[in-house]
Amino acid sequence: MKNLIRNTALATTMLLGIGAAHAEWPSDRPIEMIVAFAPGGGTDVMNRTLAPYIEKELGGKITILNRPGASGEIAYTALTQAKPDGYTLSSLNTPGYLTMQMDRKVRFDPKKLCLVARIVEDPGSFIVQANSPYNSLKDLVAFAKANPGKVTVGTTGLGTDEHLALLQLEKAAGVDLTPVTFNGANEARTALLGGHVTAIGINVGEFQSGDRSAFKSLGQFADQRSVIAQDLPTAKEQGFDVIMSSERGIAMGCDVPEAIRTKYSDAVKKALDNPEFQEKAKQQSLPLSYRSSEDWNKELPARAERLGEVWKLVKEQK
Amino acid sequence: MEFLDLLMLGFGEALNPTNLAFCLLGALLGTLIGVLPGIGPTATIAVLLPITFYLPPLAGIIMLSGIYYGAQYGGSTTAILVNLPGEASSVVTAIDGYKMAQNGKAGSALAVAALGSFFAGTVATFGIAIAGPTLSSFALSFGPAEYVALMLFGLLAATVLARGSVLKAIGMILFGLALGMVGIDAASGEERLTFSAIELFDGIDFVVIAIGVFGFTEIIENLENVEARGVLVRKLSRLWPTREDFRKAWPAVLRGTGVGTFLGILPGGGATLAAFCAYSLEKKVAKDPREFGNGAVQGVAGPEAANNAGAQSSFIPLLTLGIPSNNMMAMMLSAFIIHGITPGPTVLQTQPQIFWGLVASMWVGNLMLVVINLPLIGVWVKLLTVPYRLLYPAILLFCCVGVYSINNRIFDVVLAAGFGLLGYLFRKAKCEPGPLLLGFVLGPLLETNIRRALVISQGSPSVFVERPISLVLLIATAAMLVLMVLPSFRKTREEAFQEEEA
Amino acid sequence: MAGPRKAGGTGDRPDLLTAALFVGLGAVGLWAGRDLTMGTAAAMGPGYLPRIVCWLLILVGLTVGGMGLFRAREDITIPNLRPLAVILLSVVGFAFTAEYFGFVAASVWLLLIGSLADRESRWREVILLTAGLTAFGALVFIVGLGVQLPIWPF
Repeated sequence: MKNLIRNTALATTMLLGIGAAHAEWPSDRPIEMIVAFAPGGGTDVMNRTLAPYIEKELGGKITILNRPGASGEIAYTALTQAKPDGYTLSSLNTPGYLTMQMDRKVRFDPKKLCLVARIVEDPGSFIVQANSPYNSLKDLVAFAKANPGKVTVGTTGLGTDEHLALLQLEKAAGVDLTPVTFNGANEARTALLGGHVTAIGINVGEFQSGDRSAFKSLGQFADQRSVIAQDLPTAKEQGFDVIMSSERGIAMGCDVPEAIRTKYSDAVKKALDNPEFQEKAKQQSLPLSYRSSEDWNKELPARAERLGEVWKLVKEQK
Repeated sequence: MEFLDLLMLGFGEALNPTNLAFCLLGALLGTLIGVLPGIGPTATIAVLLPITFYLPPLAGIIMLSGIYYGAQYGGSTTAILVNLPGEASSVVTAIDGYKMAQNGKAGSALAVAALGSFFAGTVATFGIAIAGPTLSSFALSFGPAEYVALMLFGLLAATVLARGSVLKAIGMILFGLALGMVGIDAASGEERLTFSAIELFDGIDFVVIAIGVFGFTEIIENLENVEARGVLVRKLSRLWPTREDFRKAWPAVLRGTGVGTFLGILPGGGATLAAFCAYSLEKKVAKDPREFGNGAVQGVAGPEAANNAGAQSSFIPLLTLGIPSNNMMAMMLSAFIIHGITPGPTVLQTQPQIFWGLVASMWVGNLMLVVINLPLIGVWVKLLTVPYRLLYPAILLFCCVGVYSINNRIFDVVLAAGFGLLGYLFRKAKCEPGPLLLGFVLGPLLETNIRRALVISQGSPSVFVERPISLVLLIATAAMLVLMVLPSFRKTREEAFQEEEA
Repeated sequence: MAGPRKAGGTGDRPDLLTAALFVGLGAVGLWAGRDLTMGTAAAMGPGYLPRIVCWLLILVGLTVGGMGLFRAREDITIPNLRPLAVILLSVVGFAFTAEYFGFVAASVWLLLIGSLADRESRWREVILLTAGLTAFGALVFIVGLGVQLPIWPF
């Protein structure tokens, strides 16, 4: 709809020779990469940092377009409405992408959205002040058991990954924690520094990219220790069945020919292997964890199912 | 002496030619986007962020900060000239600044704003250098209860913004509060007052409302009153403030600087409050409060100083604790992180040249801004002599592009047009939009903090009076309410009597 | 507008309009938030404060209106609908044109239509101004400041 003339031109090319049109992708015009979050945020910075390295692999140009809003729903809707010609991509983050489908009727058809590549998996964690008496999740749980409701944990809202991790911990350890909502991790961090809450939930990568001198981490909610936090024990190792991580990746419309999707996925893989990019990723504490479109598509239903279980806990709270 | 050494180190860094050049570039760009209504520093910095990948870290950060405080300078220009505030803090400047311009004193207002900002910037910069770490630990003692008290105080101060009836101002604040509640409620995950429009899930953007009720409404109003706009051109006389203006503005600048430096440190909304609080303070201490709203020079000087001081001191939590206090600072944080620098106490120790270089460059940048801006006043004032029929299409275009660029969507532009219509109705009803915007900005902060405070205290409201800072602020609020209600009741009664006699 | 009473010289029309606006907006707010849970003061639900605020707004509106009824008569300045309608139309048109046809078309629409709002506009000026501002906008906003909007429809 949006680019009437452009599309007519494209349709003509398609009519003239479908094979030819594919072969040209993506050199004849820029690829539009929709970022579902505002400029300067983690997802935006990651995609802007990565884009030049993907360009190098593909030989095409990538322009970044920010369409923030409704935790990504606006961007996903825009993506499903775009022409399936391989020139429009979108960032895709879990668990937001999955939980929004549990909570309400979304404005896009998830079946039309195909995963192209996962770039990052960032496990959740709980952090406390550096001088706090708690050194592990066990310590925190022990105190919470003796003082129900006294432990306050900062999250960024109901149903966010920190909140889901909190619910899992409550259930796994049989304790009662009090979630306190903040608008974003930075506000929560400020409150923790000022001693207004006991602990806050924050992703490991997000935590490590900031100044850590005033905080310590109690444990990560990953299946296995993250590449960027090899020394931090997981919740599982400490005896609590809590698994919660957020993933950042890229999606395309499912109507885009599979050859193009795979080609893009491979280009992302090569870009991630570029030592120059890896140096940048290290500076930004990006927990890189590539999955090809095939692998990620295979893994996602399991993740969705697990989230669904946790989501029931949210419903109980309401 | 260690302090002086560090400061010298900072100036050494700031004055090296590369950094100086990027400081100038940032200040110029900032002035440009500040003057263009709607286009805010956040969007611009976002666009320029990738470019700074290729610069040395300090140069990149110096340029981005230059854009930020440059935009603060430039933002007051459109507020004064065409009654179009681009951000929360210049809403206040527009009240008396625009009146001054209508009285033919645009040059004076612009000069007072520039000089006041420069003075405040200087003081706040040295404030950061000397007391940054101490101040930031004070800011941390502000928990949810303290914020609630502070916001109540700020909302009450907002009623002073209006010239007319206090009751109407309260109504406008309430409407602003309601607008601030639009969107998904984080604490419960439910959507509120969104009319199921997905574009409203994250709430309404400040710029959308400001452009609507100020920008579009002003244009419509001006086109309606053909006689009124002639005044603007005819009475244009002075380019420079009178001695009398200086005498009045000077103490206001001092007070504004104090208010701004202090409030700017508070993460989350402090800097926004600064200009509003400075304005109500000036109105309270003025010999003749009736001048306010009719072109009082203190009403420009105080808030402008507070605004700029607040902009500078909002860097304090970022630089000393590594915590950004607003969206702009969050962007700055990503700029640091991209370069592998994590601002905070560690950087203060290990890379002092970054902190001190940036602090020194802020002062240098402020100096540049004054040098750039003072001669420009002549140009701006000339701009007012351009016939309105040529001026308003330009304003219209800038507003539309500005609104579009916030989220890159047309929904916001249409929404702004809706607020234009609403603003027009409010004008006809003699309701002023200033308090609405303040209610809108402070409302969400007030609500989340009330709920947060009560969750933490497990539902006990005594938390608000048990904590000393919160208690003091609440007492101050109550005292101010009494002071305000008494004379205003007397005034309306006087008015009523006069009307009866007439 | 609430129907002003015909009794002699009373009725402050701007106040009555204020009352109508406040009551109307408050009612819309209450209606839009009708399904939200209230909660209690200690554990506020999402609907707690919106409802309080909307009721207060209605209350303030009624007070202003009630007092306005007995004030000396004051009229609302006569509205001139031409600028209002034209400006709003041009802005809304800009929005949709920008979405489908890019910046240049939208800017031309905005400036040409917008100029109709002022009877003093002269066509030659308007055309020159439109061309100049459109070029300026494309260069400064889109090329220079990187506003994410296509310049051309293709």
